[in-house]
Amino acid sequence: MTERTYTALIVDDEELARALVKEHLAEHPEIRIVAECGDGFEAVRAASELKPDLLFLDIQMPKLDGFEVLELLDPRPVTIFITAHDRHALKAFEVHAVDYLLKPFSEERFEEALKLAKGKCGESRSTTPDPVALAATAKEGKLLDRIVVKDGTRVTVIPLSKLDYIQAQDDYVLLKTAEKGHLKQQTISSLEPRLDPGKFLRVHRSFIIQLDRLVRLERTRTESWVAVLTDGTKVPVSRSGHARLKEVLGEG
Amino acid sequence: MHPLIRSRALLAGYLFGWLAFGVVFLFSARIESAPWKEAILLAAIAAGLAAVLFPYSYYSCRALPLRSTPPPTLAAGWIGSALVMGGLWSALLLAISKHLQLLPPHYLTWQGWVSFGLTGSFMYLVTVAMHYVIIAHQHSEESLRTEQELRELAREAELKALRAQLNPHFLFNSLNSISALTSIDPKGARKMCVLLADFLRKSLKLGERPIVPLAEELTLLRAYLDIEQIRFGNRLRVEWSVDAEAEKAEIPTLLLQPLVENAIKHGIAQLPEGGILRFSAHASNGFVEVLLENARDPEADVPAGLGMGLQQVKRRLRGRYGNGASFEAKSLEAGFVVAMTFPIDAGDDSHD
Repeated sequence: MTERTYTALIVDDEELARALVKEHLAEHPEIRIVAECGDGFEAVRAASELKPDLLFLDIQMPKLDGFEVLELLDPRPVTIFITAHDRHALKAFEVHAVDYLLKPFSEERFEEALKLAKGKCGESRSTTPDPVALAATAKEGKLLDRIVVKDGTRVTVIPLSKLDYIQAQDDYVLLKTAEKGHLKQQTISSLEPRLDPGKFLRVHRSFIIQLDRLVRLERTRTESWVAVLTDGTKVPVSRSGHARLKEVLGEG
Repeated sequence: MHPLIRSRALLAGYLFGWLAFGVVFLFSARIESAPWKEAILLAAIAAGLAAVLFPYSYYSCRALPLRSTPPPTLAAGWIGSALVMGGLWSALLLAISKHLQLLPPHYLTWQGWVSFGLTGSFMYLVTVAMHYVIIAHQHSEESLRTEQELRELAREAELKALRAQLNPHFLFNSLNSISALTSIDPKGARKMCVLLADFLRKSLKLGERPIVPLAEELTLLRAYLDIEQIRFGNRLRVEWSVDAEAEKAEIPTLLLQPLVENAIKHGIAQLPEGGILRFSAHASNGFVEVLLENARDPEADVPAGLGMGLQQVKRRLRGRYGNGASFEAKSLEAGFVVAMTFPIDAGDDSHD
């Protein structure tokens, strides 16, 4: 019986670092390298297109970091994280029991990680770590300053300052900027704690608004409230949302 | 210890003061038509007594600090003690004068004692004022010394921090490059090892001194850039231009190193296709003009204000050159520039 084959994608911004992974993989005829990428955008594009089984992923990279890359991929390949020294990332790996390689790594260590990863390839999706949870641990205490989304194969980086409001739509959130709305597969509750509470407020079960976009509060006929934003959008405000708003804005 | 014992100059000044008082006393005695011999003796005794009796007020001055004692307490304390000491001085003076028959009998009376006493009290208050001046001076010297010590400590801490900044990310990535090179290009691997060792040795050595010639800092920068060159390959394109005159300047240790590290970390390393890092140091009219420019990702956020690292560089420049140095950092559309000037010759042995 012949062993199954695997496709692999190598992502690292340093050519020598990629060469090292390639060299180790050369010992494994069952693994076929489908592409190498030098930055986050390229990685997302290649992975979406080629759908590799295995992903060798550096954390610190231009454009998007490793966590952001993984966040945008669906399905997610079995991932082997590789990093030189990132205390926060290491902590995240420990917390979520993710296997990783530390630069520089030994051949034995590489083989071990590869074996583990190959084993996971047959398993169900659930063994893949949730990149959102990983990033939250890795950037612990640090609030988000941007959100990455993918429309088809296009990756967009949205600086939070450009967001007007966020709306929950089932398993997705709609991220609304002045230009357009972006859909991202994430729950509004997992997003909320990573936003600056001084700038964003959950005014409703399904809505978070950027506070400086708020023009006024209006009372509706049904005795509830709506928030009117600078672009004219009316966002429903729940009773508890109204209380939170009053608290943040003072009694005014 | 009493400051008069500690400082000879102060003691001389103090005794000179009483000599002056003695001279004034002598002439007032002469005006009262005392014969020379009696007048001189009387003046000498008056000044001598005061010089011996009054310095003790120093300890009371320490006990009653000007700033923290309420004014009524101060006034009561000093008027009271001035009257007591003036009275004592006057009484001793009259007693000795009587014994040596220096004064005509009409001075050796109740009124005589009072009028001498008031003079004594006044002189006593002058001594008190002098002591306060001395104490204030001591305080300012003390605070100057503590300030200097603190500054020294801060500088050491700063250097230590700078040395610790040898960032681990750089080290581990360099080791990883070596690991990759060992099979691809063994000679390159060896070269990288030597460069890395060279860089480490230089930065450890440099950290021992607060001020170094620009030339030495630049060899460290070159070693650092040579290593990054291997890591980043053709993504890093260095344009280097330094003239010999500029290299003579003496600058605070590791002033430029963090800037170049930043240029790589936030500039070149964030660009998949890399970019140019331009460094120049030129001498002109007694000043060195340093310019560091690097490409950066135009889509990345422009940081607001100076980061910690840049602020520290600015502070260290000012610490050494005062207003003789200038510093500017700004983001361009697709780049970042740091420009500074400082004198080639700092003009003194000042240390930051």
